[in-house]
Formats: sequence, structure tokens, C-alpha cells
Amino acid sequence: MSNLELGFWSFPILLIMVLLRAPIGLAMLLCGFAGWYFAMGGNPNVLLNKLKSETYTQFSSYSLSIIPMFLLMGQFATLSGMSSALFKAAESFLGHRRGGVAMASVGACAGFGAICGSSLATAATMSKVALPELRRYGYSGGFSTATLAAGGTLGILIPPSVILVIYAILTEQNIAKLFLAAFVPGILAALGYMLTISLYVRLYPASAGTRPPQPMSERWAALAKTWPVLVIFGVVVGGIYLGWFTPTEGSAIGAAGTGLVAVLSGSLNWAVFRDSLLGTARTTAMIFFIVLGAGFYNSFLALSGVPQFMADWVLGRGFSPWFVLSIILIFYLIFGCLMDSLSMILLTVPIFFPVISAMDFGMSPEHVAIWFGILVLIVVEVGLITPPVGMNLFIINAMDRETPMTETYKAVMFFVGSDIVRVIILVLFPAITLFLLPG
Amino acid sequence: AQEVTLRLHQFLPPQANVPKLVLDVWADKVEEDSAGRIKVERYPSMQLGGKPPELMDQAIDGVADIVWTVVGYTPGRFPSTEVFELPFMMTNARAASRAYWEMFETHMKDTEFKDVHILGTWVHGPGLIHVNKEVRTPSDMEGLKIRGGSRLANALLEKVGATPVGMPVPAVPEGLSKGVLDGTTIPWEVTAALKIPELVDNHTEFTGNALYSLTFVLAMNKDRYDGLPDDLKQVIDDNSGVEFSVFAGGTQADSDGPAREAAAARGNNIVTLTEEETAVWKTAAQPIYDEWVAEMNEKGIDGQALIDEARMLIDKYTE
Amino acid sequence: MHQVVQLLARGTAIVGGLVLVGLVILTTVSTVGRELGIGEVNGSYEILEAGVAFAIFSFFPVCQLYGAHATVDIFTSKLPGRLNRLIAAFWEVVLTAALILISWRLYEGMQRYIGNGETTFFLQFPVWWGYACSFAASVVTCIVAVYCAALRIRESLSGRDLLPTA
Ligand code: NA
Ligand code: NA
Repeated sequence: MSNLELGFWSFPILLIMVLLRAPIGLAMLLCGFAGWYFAMGGNPNVLLNKLKSETYTQFSSYSLSIIPMFLLMGQFATLSGMSSALFKAAESFLGHRRGGVAMASVGACAGFGAICGSSLATAATMSKVALPELRRYGYSGGFSTATLAAGGTLGILIPPSVILVIYAILTEQNIAKLFLAAFVPGILAALGYMLTISLYVRLYPASAGTRPPQPMSERWAALAKTWPVLVIFGVVVGGIYLGWFTPTEGSAIGAAGTGLVAVLSGSLNWAVFRDSLLGTARTTAMIFFIVLGAGFYNSFLALSGVPQFMADWVLGRGFSPWFVLSIILIFYLIFGCLMDSLSMILLTVPIFFPVISAMDFGMSPEHVAIWFGILVLIVVEVGLITPPVGMNLFIINAMDRETPMTETYKAVMFFVGSDIVRVIILVLFPAITLFLLPG
Repeated sequence: AQEVTLRLHQFLPPQANVPKLVLDVWADKVEEDSAGRIKVERYPSMQLGGKPPELMDQAIDGVADIVWTVVGYTPGRFPSTEVFELPFMMTNARAASRAYWEMFETHMKDTEFKDVHILGTWVHGPGLIHVNKEVRTPSDMEGLKIRGGSRLANALLEKVGATPVGMPVPAVPEGLSKGVLDGTTIPWEVTAALKIPELVDNHTEFTGNALYSLTFVLAMNKDRYDGLPDDLKQVIDDNSGVEFSVFAGGTQADSDGPAREAAAARGNNIVTLTEEETAVWKTAAQPIYDEWVAEMNEKGIDGQALIDEARMLIDKYTE
Repeated sequence: MHQVVQLLARGTAIVGGLVLVGLVILTTVSTVGRELGIGEVNGSYEILEAGVAFAIFSFFPVCQLYGAHATVDIFTSKLPGRLNRLIAAFWEVVLTAALILISWRLYEGMQRYIGNGETTFFLQFPVWWGYACSFAASVVTCIVAVYCAALRIRESLSGRDLLPTA
């Protein structure tokens, strides 16, 4: 069997293992092992030698160290009381409108997303604050959980974002520029969700309650209490963009700053601190095992020549770039119903990116790379809320045992619709993503 | 028909100078000379995994069949090669690469490089200083934050009162633009890609011997080489060794000229120190030599003999 | 037994977490010091790289203990509980084998760097120091993984859940 055939055979085998509930990182690692083994003519030595340094090298990475630091930052942010401050501020401005508390939850998620790099953490943290309030004001179970599941995706769409860090490293793009480019699409996402909410409450008036408006003075007072979020976001993302420090340094400063706020808020005792370390530990290890498996598998794919072959094949067919892009995005939407976003990015970007960057979209290669990155980020994030496998849906349903999953599934489809409309707009108008970028 | 596939792994993107002008030329030539029986598969940008410091081990272990790497990426493992990285040792890349190959064959082939089959050894063109103020004497360097290109370049920076800053090459433009760095040492060839002339206005060159250089090797897995049929081994042999090394070093250095012209055309201040002015720097660098010899002695290597021989050979091959 | 393993896994993760917090402080101090013109911790990125590798390795035991690895449950969740436990036990054993393989090779990698004298570029500390710390953590991972695999096998034989889930 040629290496190319080996490469192509590895796809169905990987898929079968994943569907049989193999840990995704393990499945990729095993495919990588087998691939290198057979490509070397059944000699295990190369594989064993490669393993001598592969794990340590993957883990001792300056750029990937952003991930545990952003995760730690998210853990500290959860403890610092910022999530409830954000919710109270948003709620005091929006709460009296029809569907206003739900809109406020989305707004607070967007705010929390600005200091948290992970969707799951945003969904879980904001749910703790917002779910009881939503239920208190008479919002239906499915609508409440769906709103928070969708709002949680803002944790990744609005920078900083762990997924964008991975994308930047895989494609050798500038992290600061990707963060900047994600900003407007992230705001659009929040606005789109709010629009969806107002549409939903008009269709199902029984699903939401109301409350009287609050005086303006109270609203401003609530808003003023969110200043730490603004300061940390400004320093971290602004500092990275202005070149005061590298993204890794920015993530450290963000974690330190958020930790300081948590200490000052008085909520950081040893037990809580220990739990935030354990939370960071679990997620970090989960991510890095996938990173390790994907790294090994991707080196085998490069060896097999599959990415090159696919790029040549697609170019040889003379497909229109827009057609190819659409197919790729639809692929992500479908697989997003099954797989988690990080695994998908690590698995597919090394294959799709060479195809996309070889095509002419009438933009500079850097702009294509950034624009494609934002589009991929959005479609994989949609996967977090598409039934049946949507991590955000699971997390929130676990926090609200009374609401049946099917209720959440029904309501969340409205938010998925809003996501798809947004993707189409961003595909048709690349300038929305790129206009903030210099040159 | 194709019989042998060799995987060539390296860390730069395919369109960079060395992959394009040296490695591709070499690989094409090998393919052609073997009448298509050897195919060289090229894997740029560390596609086969790992970080650049692991390239040498990948060649030793057979993860890749051939690697191009910077010897200084693995400090401490190939100490003898550092003789060509000493400050004010090299003159031009062709002469130094020829001397490097000759000393590789006599001193390093069966010792430090015994686990791998070396196809070529070369150095890049003269390394010089790019900085945000005019530098003529070692004391002008006092207090400047400079990224040094090699371990020994860092040692020299410390001796002249500058602060060597540890930073990977791709971070240099950002470091210069926001003032984390006052300057950097690097050969002209690389300045264009890093946009150095737009970030700093002063460049200090030396006459005679250059500030520093880096050593490279093109290395092949030993078993892979030994396992080739004799006629294909011959093809590899014909394309490796001293002539290839001189070609590689020379080609890399030839890219220096256009980059220097571009800086000059911008109106940058290119200071070329006279032989007398360079001599002051050499004196300042003398302690580095003494320390290096002491370090080598600890490792059981006669450092002074290596220095003397390298000097003699470089002088001999410098026209 | 369970308490010992749990203590080991959690303790290792907390040590790793404290190292991570230490790196956060080091990097922050270095960066802020540089921006304020006081001076940075030069070459701190080499400490960061070695430290974060150790932290990540030391995070694996808890990930293992709580079954926190990413999986796709959609098809297997339709299967009967008995079969589901069997599948879980199977992958746990394979995963444990892979982790042991990784640790063994990490050990060999460490041996290589002890033997060849390679140092880091800037601070010039021996590369094997980083390997040694990471290897120590990965030994704990192996112990916890073997324990989890044994429990998963017992779960599939007895038909009862014994291990905590995420
Ligand atoms: Na975020
Ligand atoms: Na999904």
C-alpha cells in the first residue's frame, strides 16, 4: 500500500474508533502510530524514536502555554464575582423588555467572553448566575437553557479564544490579528442572539415574563461595578494587539489580574483555589492529549501526502473558490453535530488550510487565512449547540435537571439559525471581518 | 524507475532562501543524477513534527532521512563546530565553509557526528550589528539590548556591556518596533524578510573578519546511506562534501548583497569599520576565546589547536 | 486504595497547578518589569517552557481519574449498559497502554539528553532537567491509569459503576 493510500484509509478507521467512543486524542494517536509504523515498512523503530521527544516538545511550547493560562484565568474569573456583576448590569438595562432577561444573559455572556477563553467555562459560569434569574422571571426551561448554551459560545467567539490560538499556531498566523478580526463577528453574534430572542418571545409569548424597569441611577451603578472586566479585557487584548507583550505574556497578565480580583473579592480561600487548579488541570490535560494525538496524526498525514494531494485535486478540478469554501463550511456544520470543536480544528485545518490558501479569493493570503479562521471558528462553535452532541447543551442541561433535553433542542434551533445567517453574511462580506486590520 | 525515497525535513517555509536556492537545487540534482531512481520528498516548516532542535535526532533516528539544521540549536552537543562561530573568526562564507568541511573530516566526522552521515557543512555570510544608534566602538554598545545570533555572540555582547536578550528570530521585528530590543545581530540575507532596515537605521560591518557566523549541516541517516546500492551511494557522494558545502555557504552569502543594497537605498547609515577599528573589537573579544578554550579543555578537546587550525585554513582559502 | 490514588492524582495536579501559577507570576513580573523599564527576567521563556511541560504532565492523572477525556458518546449511549461498560473498559486499557508507552519513551528521551549534554539556548541549563520533571509526573499518570483500567474492567464484569465521572 502506498503512503497516500495509508493516509486515506486512516480517515474511516479514525472515524470508526471515535464513534466507538475511543477518547478522540487516543484515536488520533493510534492512527498516527499505525501510520508511521506501516509507512516505515513495518519497522517500529522510527515510531519509538519519534516518541522520545514528541510529547515533551508538544507540551513545552511557549505559544501553547497560552491555553492553561487562559483556562486558569477563566477559573479565577468564575470566582471573582465578575459573572454576577456583569449579569446584574446587563439585566438592569434590558430586563424590563420582553425577553429582556434572556437578552441580558447574552450580553453578560459576551462580557464574560471578553475575559474567558473557553465556551464551556462561559456557559457554565453564566448559567450559575443567570439560570435561577431566568426561571424566577417566568422564562420557560428550554428557552432559558438554549439561551445560555448559545450565549456560552460567545466565550470563544469574542477574544481571547483558545480555539483561535490553536488555529493561529496551526496556520502560522498572527494571534493578535486573529483576535482583532474576531471582535466584530463576536459582537454580531451577540446582537444576532438578542434579535433571535425578541423573535422567539413574539412567537411564544408564554415563554418569557417581564418585570418593571429600574431607575437609571441604579443601572449606571450596576454598570460601574463591571470595571474590572473592562480593565482586564482592555489590558490583555489591547496590550497584545498594541504589541506591548506577546499573546503568551498577555495570557499570564490576564490570569494574574483576574486572580488578583478574585483575591480582593474575598472569595478565594484555599479550597476554592484548589478547585480552580483542579478544574484547570482536567481541561488542560484533556486539550493537550488531543493536541498530542493530532500532532502525531498530522505528521503522519504530511508524510502520506494527503493534504498536498487534496489541494492538487481540488485545484485541478477548477472548482470555484466560493464553492470549495461552502463545502468545507457545510462539512464543519455537519461534523459539529458529532465532534467537539478543538478536535475538529486540529484534525481538519492541516488538510483544508492548504486547499483554501492555494485558491484566489481576491484578497491577500494573510487576509484569506484570517477570514477563513474566523469562519471556521464560528462554524465549529455552532457545533457546541447543535443537537445531538453539543457540549454547551450538555453542560447546561446538567445544571438544570428539570428541563428535558428535547425542550432545549427545540429552542436552540433558533439560535443555530441565527448562527447560520451570520456565517452567510460573513462569507459574502469579508470586509466585516477584515476592516479593522491594518493594510 | 524510482527505487529510493528520501525524506528531507527542515524548519523554513519552502520559498525561503536556503530551501529554494540550496536544498531544492541539491535535491533536484540528486534526482537527475540518479536518473529518477532517487526521489527526494521535501517536508518544509517542520511538517513531520517536532521543533527545530530535534532535527538532528530525527536524522539520527530515521524519522527523516535527511535534515538541514542549525548546529547551534543543540548547544553543547557539537562543541567543535563552535570554532567557526567564534567572534571575528570567519571572513567570507566560501572560505569558512571550505575550512569547516576540512576540519569536519579530520576532527568531527568520527567523534561528534559519528551517529549521522554528514552531506555538507557550511556557514552563512558575515554576521553584523543592526541597531538604533551609530555603533563604532565596543563602548558604544554599553547598555544596549541586543538579540545575539549565537551562544558566543551573546557572550561577546556581554563583554562589551550590552544586554543579550533571549528571543526567537521571528519575534525580532516586534521586539525592535516596540523597543524591547535596541538591535540585533544577523547576516544581511535575513534582514529583508524581517524588515530590519525599516526598524533600525544603523548597520555596523567589520573589515577582514566578521562579527560572527552560524554553522549549518545537511545530515543524512547513517543506516539509510549505508543501505543504498553502491551506484546510488555514488550519486549522493558526488553531490556532497566540500564542493557542495562551498556552494551552499556561497549561495547563502550571495543573498547578502541585494539586502544590503536595499538598506543603503533607504538611506540607512551603513558603517563599515576599518581594519584598525575592527582590531579594537577583536581585542574585546579575546576573553571569549580564552573562556571557550577552557570550556573545550573540560570536554577533553584541544580548543586552541582548533582555533589555530581554523584560522590557518580560513586564511589559506580567503582570496 | 481509592483514597490513596485520589490523593496522589489530586496532589500531583495541585503541584502542577502551583507551578503554573508560579509561571503566571514569573511571566507577569517579567513583562510588567520590561514595560515599566525596570528590566525583565531575561530568558524566562525557557523556564516557562520546561515548567509548563511539567504542569501539563502532572495534570494527566486527574484527567484520567475523572474520565475527562473528550469522547463522542452518541452511538454507544444507545447500547445496553453492559456493552457500554465493556467498551469503556477496552479503551481505558488501550489508553493506559499508550500512556505507559509514552512514559517509557519519555524516559528514553531523558536518557538521551543526559548522555549528549544538550542545554537550552539562552540560560544553558541541561535539557534533561525538564524531561526528568515531566517523567516523574508521567509515572504518576501511569499508576493512576493502571488503577482506572483495573476498575473499569471490574465495572464491566460486575455491571456496577465504580469510578467517578467528570
Ligand atoms: Na473569549
Ligand atoms: Na454539536
